[in-house]
Amino acid sequence: MTITNRTTDRGPAPGDGHPLPWLVPAIAILAAFYAVPVLDVLRLAFSDASLLAPASRYSTDAIGGVLADPALPVVLGTTLVFTLANVAALQLAGLCIALVIARGERRGLRGMAAFRTLVLAAWVVPGIANGLVWQMLFDEAPYGTLNSLLGYVGLGPVAWLSDPQMAMASAVIANLWQGTAFSMIVFYAARRAIDPTLYEVAELDAATPWQMFRYITLPLMRRLIAVNTVLVTVQTLNTFDSILALTGGGPGRATEVLALFTFNTVFYNLDLAGGSVLAVLLFAIGMGCALLVHYVIGRERPAA
Amino acid sequence: MTLARWGDVATYVVLAVLGAFFALPFLWLISLAVRTPAEVYLGASRFIPQAPTLDNFRLILSDPAFLIYLWNGLKLSASGGLVAVALAIPAAYAASRLNFRGKQAILVGILAVQMISPLVILLPLYRWMVALGLLNSDLAVIAVYGALGMPLAVWLLKVTFDGVPIELEEAAAIDGASRFTTLWRITLPLARPGIASAFILAMVMNWSQFLIPFILLERDGDWPISVAIFNFAGATNASTTQVLAAACIIAVLPAVMVFVALQRMIVSALMAGAVKG
Repeated sequence: MTITNRTTDRGPAPGDGHPLPWLVPAIAILAAFYAVPVLDVLRLAFSDASLLAPASRYSTDAIGGVLADPALPVVLGTTLVFTLANVAALQLAGLCIALVIARGERRGLRGMAAFRTLVLAAWVVPGIANGLVWQMLFDEAPYGTLNSLLGYVGLGPVAWLSDPQMAMASAVIANLWQGTAFSMIVFYAARRAIDPTLYEVAELDAATPWQMFRYITLPLMRRLIAVNTVLVTVQTLNTFDSILALTGGGPGRATEVLALFTFNTVFYNLDLAGGSVLAVLLFAIGMGCALLVHYVIGRERPAA
Repeated sequence: MTLARWGDVATYVVLAVLGAFFALPFLWLISLAVRTPAEVYLGASRFIPQAPTLDNFRLILSDPAFLIYLWNGLKLSASGGLVAVALAIPAAYAASRLNFRGKQAILVGILAVQMISPLVILLPLYRWMVALGLLNSDLAVIAVYGALGMPLAVWLLKVTFDGVPIELEEAAAIDGASRFTTLWRITLPLARPGIASAFILAMVMNWSQFLIPFILLERDGDWPISVAIFNFAGATNASTTQVLAAACIIAVLPAVMVFVALQRMIVSALMAGAVKG
């Protein structure tokens, strides 16, 4: 009798159950460490708080002060150059490495795992150490790494860190060294997820490697490339510890990106209100990118 | 030679160029760290020093302060990683096993908060920690590490739990086990490799953290190694480059070694996350 009951009434399905108790810790953390602080930064942006004194009154003075600061356009320009250069370089390098490793593995070539390990090792180097190591490499003295290597082939010396434009290039190179691994992993995963029969069919049709890349690999990786572009953009925007250690933002403001400018405003000038305005700006740009990724995924999913 | 063989040659040429770029900083760092002060000034001509020495490492490691920095780094990053994973497990389990309204929204939300710079949330957190009297306490740093590491851990653990056969949980449920018992006795033991990857990844990220401890810990003796080397670099000059190089190696090595040893596990977890996320 009970058995017939069971077959008609199956009892709770595996997916049932109240989710709330499970979600409480995560939601509490999201609220306490993300949502409320972001709102509080917004409040501070309208205040006159310094790092040492709490807000005494609310106005738009801090916002006006930041917007009128002649350093802001310079910093935003620097941020734009640094971010664009990195997003392009990181993804090109990541894509190139991912495809080369994937090819090498298909052909059974040796050394692919070792190479991947090397790129990943650079990834886990702390940002501060990254800045310090590249500072040694870019040392402009005749015995500096790159300058003494260039000296062998009769070039240089290059003013890696003291020339404003070269300093920006150097900061991008240092970030490229450390950051490529992320894009490499994403693209490597995307490449491995492509059905190999597509390439076999293309080979039967005598497609060239370039055609296979152009008409199979690239279109099928398009969605992940879009997502990765946004992720890398936000990561680059938020990067500042390696620049702090490499150039300290200099020479002048040549490598002072928005995140570093915010850090300096709050923790060296103790201007919490002004720093909060900059932090809101940083947050808004990052969130704009996050919404973009959501939009991109939402739009592409029905098609894919 | 066939086209494929030429392709292999091209593969190795590309790898050689990129390999030189990625290996150079590591190799140079090692080269500097085993030089005597005199040989530092000889640049590339002494890439392999004539009289390699371990004195620089001896100097660093004989400094008790340095060992404390290393211990602080380990303590803070491991505790922070544990907190992150412990906070992530229930949410990841719910995301993997339960159907409820708004699940997608919560998962996207968890992904989105990762885009917020720690710098942004640190401004109010710093003031709160001062108000709570938690400035200069490890607890403050560990809590922030836990909060920063949780989102990625939720995603990695969700993918891990998805891979645990649901039939095993159903069998346990038929035997009368509650969901909590099932999770504790069946799912978590089976998900051990994924949990370990999430923990280690969180720990490596914490090891690299500079901003949080730099701001929340003001006393020299509380600093982890990432903050200490920044401070140390400010006190060095050209004649002590080799000592700074040795200090950098000591700061970098633990993270690199752990990561390289476990990279297969971590990378496959990340790759699963990349394709599905």
